[in-house]
Amino acid sequence: MAKLVLPAGLLVLALLGVPMLLMLRYSFNSFDPLYLMKEAFTFGNYARAVVDPYYQKILLTTVAVALASTLLTTLLAYGPAYWLARMEGRWKSKLTILTMFPLLVGGVVRSAGYMALLSSDGLINATLRGLGLITVPLQLLYTPGAVVFATVGIVLPYMILTLASVIESIPRQVEDAAANLGARPGTAFIRVLMPLSLPGVLAGSTLVFILCMNAYATPLLLGGPQFQMMAPAVYDQFARASNWPFGAALAFLLLVVTVALTTLGSSVIARRYKAG
Amino acid sequence: MKSLELVNIRKEYGDAVAVDDMNMTIRKGELVSLLGPSGCGKTTTLRMVAGFVAPSAGSVLIDGRDVTHRPPYERNTALVFQSYALFPHMSVAQNVAFGLEMRRMPRAEREAKSLEALRRVRLDHLAERYPRQLSGGQQQRVALARGLVLNPDVFLLDEPLSNLDAKLRAEVRSEIRGLQQALELTTLMVTHDQEEALTMSDGLVLMAGGRVRQSGSAQDLYERPADAFVADFVGRSNVLEGRVEGGSFRMKDGTALPGTAVPTARYYTLRPEKIALTSPDQGVPGTLREVLYLGAQTEYTVLLGTTPVTVIRATPGPDDTLARLRPGDPVGLRWNSADARLLDS
Amino acid sequence: MRLTSLIYRGTIVIAYTVMLLPVLLLVVTSFFRDAIIAFPPTGLSLEWYRNALTRDEFLSGFLVSVKVAAIATAIGVPTGTAAAMALVRSRLRFKAAITTFLLGPIIVPGIVAGIALYLSYLAVQNRLDMDIVGTLPGLIAAHVLLTIPWTVRVVISGLQGLDRSVEEAALNLGARPRAVFLRVTLPMMRPAIVAAAMFSFIQSFENLELTLLLVGPGMSTLPIAMMNYLEFQVDPTLAAVATLQIAVIAAMMLITDRYVKLSRIV
Repeated sequence: MAKLVLPAGLLVLALLGVPMLLMLRYSFNSFDPLYLMKEAFTFGNYARAVVDPYYQKILLTTVAVALASTLLTTLLAYGPAYWLARMEGRWKSKLTILTMFPLLVGGVVRSAGYMALLSSDGLINATLRGLGLITVPLQLLYTPGAVVFATVGIVLPYMILTLASVIESIPRQVEDAAANLGARPGTAFIRVLMPLSLPGVLAGSTLVFILCMNAYATPLLLGGPQFQMMAPAVYDQFARASNWPFGAALAFLLLVVTVALTTLGSSVIARRYKAG
Repeated sequence: MKSLELVNIRKEYGDAVAVDDMNMTIRKGELVSLLGPSGCGKTTTLRMVAGFVAPSAGSVLIDGRDVTHRPPYERNTALVFQSYALFPHMSVAQNVAFGLEMRRMPRAEREAKSLEALRRVRLDHLAERYPRQLSGGQQQRVALARGLVLNPDVFLLDEPLSNLDAKLRAEVRSEIRGLQQALELTTLMVTHDQEEALTMSDGLVLMAGGRVRQSGSAQDLYERPADAFVADFVGRSNVLEGRVEGGSFRMKDGTALPGTAVPTARYYTLRPEKIALTSPDQGVPGTLREVLYLGAQTEYTVLLGTTPVTVIRATPGPDDTLARLRPGDPVGLRWNSADARLLDS
Repeated sequence: MRLTSLIYRGTIVIAYTVMLLPVLLLVVTSFFRDAIIAFPPTGLSLEWYRNALTRDEFLSGFLVSVKVAAIATAIGVPTGTAAAMALVRSRLRFKAAITTFLLGPIIVPGIVAGIALYLSYLAVQNRLDMDIVGTLPGLIAAHVLLTIPWTVRVVISGLQGLDRSVEEAALNLGARPRAVFLRVTLPMMRPAIVAAAMFSFIQSFENLELTLLLVGPGMSTLPIAMMNYLEFQVDPTLAAVATLQIAVIAAMMLITDRYVKLSRIV
């Protein structure tokens, strides 16, 4: 029985484990304009990735967008997650499918949808102009705000579904007990439901944060040419600059920062959970 | 039907002993209940009979044949699970026919047999339904039919009534007992409910801490408990601690009770319904602390010294002097000294 | 009280609007007559659907995506299911570590995994003198990294909810372990496996980040074809392509939902 783990395990090892090691090795090589890559053992690529103000700014932008999107997503997801979790009967399955649906449509298509919403001829500007509130279209597209807005929209279903499944496992009587003891709905939410659902927040925000750090289509399509985030920048090192060692180092930096921040965030929330 | 024997059965999990040197025999056609508090080893014993748990030592004999090392599917036992464990993806008829199919019985024959088994539990009209479409009581009967249809050597019931409501419980209790007697099924039932065990069984085995504390008939365990644990677990009992001293049994608070039959006794046990309530001068004097009206019966708690003693009597009529008793009143307790049991342990 | 309820209702309305409006918007604009999406439209037209269907990049992208997703699912679901069974049922050591490893492709950013694969493909290509980047097998191998973890994840949670006593009942009724697996365990796992297949297929079908560097001329997936087209403009042709894709996904969900209740799995 234990052997059944082998086919999948070997596939992941061959397709992820070994390639990651190879990339790690490449990240210590040096760039050569003629031969592209020279065998070496240098920390120069990492040093450049950390010290170069251009990449510093990209990394900071990425982390800032990811943090803001994760926070906004969490705040916005609680209401719908509770609604979904406490709903009963036929409508519950319909609403679950409706929540899953955008998830399955994919990031590229939905990013295009946000472009149609935010562009200068888009729905929002057209509506405002139609109402006579503006004459010159507002610059909504190609702003950092547009990136955060679209990212939140794209990852929201993950957060709602994760939170809803945790809230569903919290007995309703616990809330009734809080109400019976005199807690108003807002208080009951903050004192009872929120602490009990922290594991869901943890799982959901970890997933969402990883997705935000990794976002490629959204920053490119909604941020415009001036707006730079890590995933497109890393891609450029391979597709345009052909600087493999530096690109590999950037990719590892992205991975390490993502893993470090999710671990840090998890341990902070987990400690709160234990204390609360 | 075949007999079932457990010989020096023992089961250890690491350092913990779940079942300790257990012996037990069920004769053909008998229903024996394995009774005890949760964690006493009764379910482990049942699972060793079914073959899901391998004993660390000892053997399981069905009809004198050693099946200790046979896998579950080579023992002709039928286990009715506490959760019923019906196959959710099969219809009622398919559930019942499953065991026959595994025994390679031809389709026509097994369909006829399953229907007959379903008729026995009055569910033949629901044969095409799926388990989730049935009530808890109906699911239980499907589980029974699924076992019965195999004509098993040993029938095993794991807490068969625990998932049913109180009213249904009495009904299913007599239904199971009726089927078991009509088909002369050799049956081992596991339960933590002493009422269930007392009313359904030919014999009882009371377990605690992995060991058999006493086995025998319902009357044996109720009237002649081997120790204070049995007296307390089977039925209700006043278990009073103390020792025999100068012609009476003296409780820890100093109150003397009549009876010295066992000079080494440390426990004095007395069933609540064997005690009469009288005036203080006619028995062991005490103070009434609480009166609980239970309908047909009334339960009185009386303090002898500082020790509470429970007395259960038929609820007195309105003219009875007992009806006027209030907490705090002085009363006397009287009992036949043959009804008191003095126990060493 | 009133404020609490206002916030509660407000977030529900905002969240579902933000989630669903862009999808709805694309469907609506695909019927606009104007070549540049603008509100309100001057008229309606089906012209863009014809345009979308005649553009080779979308049609071939769609076919490549379907092939890759179907084959990667056919590889990932059986292997992932087997691994999930071993992880839940066997006495394997280091279960937690192995589970994390198998779910690793979800945790590692797709762009990072994609680059690592790209470099490995090139390294192998140089040694064996054969193409891997820009080939169907290369894309399929990469997408197995999506289908395995999603299957492991969905099937593990399905298995954990399975009542073991049902399988014990089958053993007790005389079924040998093989028969128990085929007649009881596997049918009871069916909803989880169907869900795993659907999630795997869709994760592969819509993937962008992992795939970016692995496509080649004439061997591109639909999301990448759309992405390349989008870097210049959103126009009704793209909206029409997106609407067709949305229709395919919606149909898949509704068909799957007939066999297993999706709401019970997530």
